[in-house]
Amino acid sequence: MRPYIVFTKKELIEYGRTYKFFILFTIFIALGFMNPLTAKFMPKILESFMPEGIEIQLPPPSSLDSWAQFFKNVTQTGLFVAIIIFSGMMSREYEKGTLVNMITKGLPRQTVILSKFTASTLLWTLSYWTCFLITHIYTMYFWKGETVLELATSTLFLYLFGIMLISVLLIGSTLFKNSYGGLLFTEGFIAILFLLKLSHKIDNYNPLQLANQNINLLSGNLHPSKLKSPLFVCCTVIILSIISSILIFDKKQI
Amino acid sequence: MDQYIEYLPVIIPLFIIQIILSITAVIHVIRHPNYRFGKKQVWIPVVLFIGFIGPFIYFIFGRGDD
Repeated sequence: MRPYIVFTKKELIEYGRTYKFFILFTIFIALGFMNPLTAKFMPKILESFMPEGIEIQLPPPSSLDSWAQFFKNVTQTGLFVAIIIFSGMMSREYEKGTLVNMITKGLPRQTVILSKFTASTLLWTLSYWTCFLITHIYTMYFWKGETVLELATSTLFLYLFGIMLISVLLIGSTLFKNSYGGLLFTEGFIAILFLLKLSHKIDNYNPLQLANQNINLLSGNLHPSKLKSPLFVCCTVIILSIISSILIFDKKQI
Repeated sequence: MDQYIEYLPVIIPLFIIQIILSITAVIHVIRHPNYRFGKKQVWIPVVLFIGFIGPFIYFIFGRGDD
């Protein structure tokens, strides 16, 4: 247990010193502020793009629009930034050979993987929920009294989807010596999820649903129980990814 | 102008975050003059004027090893 705590701490310090935590955190905070603002301004922005004389009728923005912005921004910008920041998790250590000393001195190999996963998940957790909190506070401020359905479930689903991507990135990063390898691996995984969307049967199990059905959950068009199987698949992928990363790393020459 | 006062509680913090991000990046650019690519004269305007993306690109791709 002690090596695990020490190594996780070292990871967190490293994220701090390389400014990765700072960048991730500030970008998520900024997204948190931007979501309600964009939702509020969207009708005005659209109006200013319209040629003179053409009038469009838009319903006044609601709290649902603010959350739509949240899910759009976090999946498109937030996850993208997070994946780029975490992409060098293992491969940077291979490149610099910094793990050799610690492993020959008796640090268990699985501890390395588990600590890497814990540290990156902690960073993701902190950034994601701060972003959520800010959006939540401002949405309540701008749209007093308006509520949406299943907010907690819906945000939790996206959070789990993020953890799943981090765990897939961990395999990619363990497999390849170059940090772009892990990045491409994760992008390949996302591309496969998008391809699976085409088949209606498989799509019922597709974890991608956790990231793009959120608005339907909030507006009440979809009941959370419908997303049980994607949730199950997502958790399985997380566990399998961690186990396979440990197995791959055991065989890996560093 | 009146219609924008309502939005100040959001715009002000957003503005502050932007300033913090740019200033941290500028200080880092000046103090650590070895980059993976580019020069000081390139990085300073990039981190100052390209919104949130400039500092992000600098810290993730442009920052040299200490």
